[in-house]
Amino acid sequence: MLSLIWLIFAPLIAAGIILFPRFPNHQVKVRRFAKSFAGLHFIYTLFFLLFFDTSLYGMSFEKELTFFGMTWLKSLGISAKFAVDGIALLMVILTSFIVFVTMVVSKIHIRSKHKLYYSMVFLFESALLGIFCAKDMFLFFVFWELSLIPLYFLVSQWGNSEARPAAMRFTFGSFALNMLLFFAMLILYYYNFAVSNVLTANIESLSMDEKIYPLWFQIMVFGGFLAAFAIRVPFAFLHSWYPDIQSKAAAPVNILISGVLLSSGIYGLIRFNMLVFPSVFKLFAPILMVWGVVNLLYGGALAIVQSDIKKIISYANISVIGFVMLGLGSLTQIGFNGAVFMAVSAGIVYAALFVVISSIQFRTKTTYITALGGLGEVMPKCMYLTLIICFCAVGVPFLMMFTPKLMILTGAMISDLDNDLLVKLCSIGGMAAVAMSAGYILYFFYKVFCSVLLEQWKGLKDLGPQEISVLAAFVAVIVYFGVYPMSIVQIYQSVAGMIQDILQV
Amino acid sequence: MEVLIKDIANTYLPELVLILFILINLAASVFLHKNMYRISKGLTLTGIICAIAATFYLPISTEDSFAFGGAFLSNAYTLFFKILILISAFFLTLLSRNMVRSTRELAFEYFTVFLSGVLFAMCSVCVMDFVGLFVCLSALGLSCYLLLTYTKSANARQLSFGYLVIGGVASSLFVLGLSYLYGLCGQFGFVDISNYFAQNPPHVLLTFVVILMTVTILFKLGIVPFSSWLPDTFQGAGYPIAAYISVIPPLACFGVLARLLLIMMPFTTSLKLVLASLAVLTILCGSLCALRQTNVKRLMAYSMSVQSGIMLLGLCVFSVYSLSGVLFYLFFYVFATIGAWAAIILFYNSCKLEEIRDFNGLIYHRPYYVIAFTIILLSLAGIAPTCGFVAKLFLFSAVARSGFVFLPFLAVAMLASVIMVFAYWNIIRAMFRRVENSVEIDTNIVSSKLILYACAFATILCCIFADKIFVVLQLISLYM
Repeated sequence: MLSLIWLIFAPLIAAGIILFPRFPNHQVKVRRFAKSFAGLHFIYTLFFLLFFDTSLYGMSFEKELTFFGMTWLKSLGISAKFAVDGIALLMVILTSFIVFVTMVVSKIHIRSKHKLYYSMVFLFESALLGIFCAKDMFLFFVFWELSLIPLYFLVSQWGNSEARPAAMRFTFGSFALNMLLFFAMLILYYYNFAVSNVLTANIESLSMDEKIYPLWFQIMVFGGFLAAFAIRVPFAFLHSWYPDIQSKAAAPVNILISGVLLSSGIYGLIRFNMLVFPSVFKLFAPILMVWGVVNLLYGGALAIVQSDIKKIISYANISVIGFVMLGLGSLTQIGFNGAVFMAVSAGIVYAALFVVISSIQFRTKTTYITALGGLGEVMPKCMYLTLIICFCAVGVPFLMMFTPKLMILTGAMISDLDNDLLVKLCSIGGMAAVAMSAGYILYFFYKVFCSVLLEQWKGLKDLGPQEISVLAAFVAVIVYFGVYPMSIVQIYQSVAGMIQDILQV
Repeated sequence: MEVLIKDIANTYLPELVLILFILINLAASVFLHKNMYRISKGLTLTGIICAIAATFYLPISTEDSFAFGGAFLSNAYTLFFKILILISAFFLTLLSRNMVRSTRELAFEYFTVFLSGVLFAMCSVCVMDFVGLFVCLSALGLSCYLLLTYTKSANARQLSFGYLVIGGVASSLFVLGLSYLYGLCGQFGFVDISNYFAQNPPHVLLTFVVILMTVTILFKLGIVPFSSWLPDTFQGAGYPIAAYISVIPPLACFGVLARLLLIMMPFTTSLKLVLASLAVLTILCGSLCALRQTNVKRLMAYSMSVQSGIMLLGLCVFSVYSLSGVLFYLFFYVFATIGAWAAIILFYNSCKLEEIRDFNGLIYHRPYYVIAFTIILLSLAGIAPTCGFVAKLFLFSAVARSGFVFLPFLAVAMLASVIMVFAYWNIIRAMFRRVENSVEIDTNIVSSKLILYACAFATILCCIFADKIFVVLQLISLYM
């Protein structure tokens, strides 16, 4: 019963059921169905964790999707195979959890076209799960591209009046870079064919480490992959779509984007750029470290000067992603462990912050920081829950983000890259960014909850039971993984060991 | 007599059936009352179905069978094209319902010309010498010209005049090339010519000659220097006729072009690069022009141009992989294009509007129409989970496999095809726009609706079962 095929295609089936003409076009029924389905799906993913063998040195739960006994594109060596390793499984659970939360939060924000909305969220979930579980390069690409279509509709149909051009810009920028990715994939595929004489697109057997072509060739192919992933991570200077979309999309879509979409970019970076091109990645590592520090400082600096709370949190998110890049670039095991941990915790913490923003936006109909203030007086429950999440984002010990920050900075410090001065500077920059994060997060918290309460917000209601339960779930996760960080790290530790072996050679 | 019957049964039975029905249609137009649309449509559909049945009667083997002293060939390759042409003709007949019904007295004439176009498209894939090829292509062109004059407005005739002129020039270039070729080797048959050049050193003029001869084919495909007629002609033509021009001539032309390249490629190496650069140029120019279109028909014209460019890029590589990739792309292209035309015709028949902005807000009234049309457009754009993506994967991977020479072409083509995604996206965006639209889609036209939904479904289904089709196509192109 525990099959990845079901896991990936169940949301697709749910989307089909909702879109089916006979399904009642009544918003309560659609919503209840979507919520309960997403909840059951989340529980189903937890079973995978239960039966997952953490000591395994490769991918598990392998399953091939066959159509009446046929492989998908057998003559090209492309098959619809799915499998997960520790990192992918973690991302799968994160996706399922965030989608469930989105479904719950959607109630107060989505006012039209319910059938289309919930089916698009399910389609998006299916695409994301496919990205994480695909064991075949071209299958990965199929889901990678598929994820853009529901995203376009989610942003443009339910966002504010400026959402449509923003969605358009992002979608088409991505389509263009995806073509670059596709081109790089084709080259990698035939390169592999030339080396091993087997036509296959299986992720595990792809590698571009043989030196049959000059290094610049490998670097170009690496660049093709990097371009597509870097825009989604997002790297600094490629980030402009992210605050742009986040400030215009509907609140539940914000949660979805910050929670899941960014993780898919990080996953692609690890899965392809790191594992397939180890020799080029070693050359790229110092650049990645520096770029990560730039992300940290530049994103942080931009976060402080924003006037829209959605943009503050978006830039803060970009800044935190810099830690992931720093960790990956350090080429140490502890840095890598911290980077993956950071990717997951950034997904959770920033999704939680967007949940808070969604509650505020629903009550005040504004996200401008000058129009808000002193909400703690009228919304104390919201304030206390947010305080814990904000402390977590700052990096207070025993909350989820402390351990990964510690691991990444340690990794950056002990990194044995050639350029010693650079490494030291990067770790100093990382530490400066930790201090900076306290600045912008607490600035956000102070401006929204603490300063003088404006006259028009006197009558605001505090959080309802549903919103409290969502935020409490987030806080529970944050505290649990803050106290027991190893419970996450042990899931993907064997993968980290494998990556270390590959990179050391 | 025995030889004749054996030839008929082995090679040209479907064509014979079609000729029979063309004659019946003509005879009926003389003897029956003029406004008998149903009878003429019924005759045409029966004729096409009988011809499809007849193609299945032909022996399907890897052996070639010839008729008329080697001038007419039948094998798996020609069968593939015949079936594809006939199936698309079947759909196109159903799609021409409203247009023909509004001008009742010309129904028999319309279908006679329509069927003869189909007949010559089928023949042009089968003929094995240049004179026959010239006749078939000219006759195919003639039927297109005649169909274009079917609409009564003077504006439409003016718009399609360019097609006639450029078509005439292209045909004369073909004859010019043919005369040079005859001067070079003194033969007309394909087999004779390739034998001649295998024994004698190829002449310097040969590349020039082949390019002259391919011009008429490239013209029909809408490849760039010869594509200026496309948008105007489409805008002027009736909808089913534009659909006809965007499906039947490309099918025939790719069938012919592959055969021409098979004969000529070994002797003219630079031909590859010329065709590849034309293909890339077409994709680039076509998609850039398509971006700014506001008229659906003009957009579809550029779409045809770009898709032919993509197929031409695959074809000029010319390996077994690329040829089967092109065949798969053609297979997908036919279904997706007919589906798109079905959606457009359905829309036009209900409200007589043809601008992209008229599609605004359709999602509120006709969600299933919009979803089906969206799937088809995404498929034409080659976005991942549809057949278009798999078709592109087959084609581009074949090009990438053929070596480093074509990689720059491939890179430019792929990036340019993203621009085309924008162009298709204009329609999707319009349909999902948040405005109220009072256009009602006429739900009575069952056949067009069925074609639309069937094509949308087929593009998803072909993505899943792509390999099965591809293996068959590989066999076909191996024994071409």
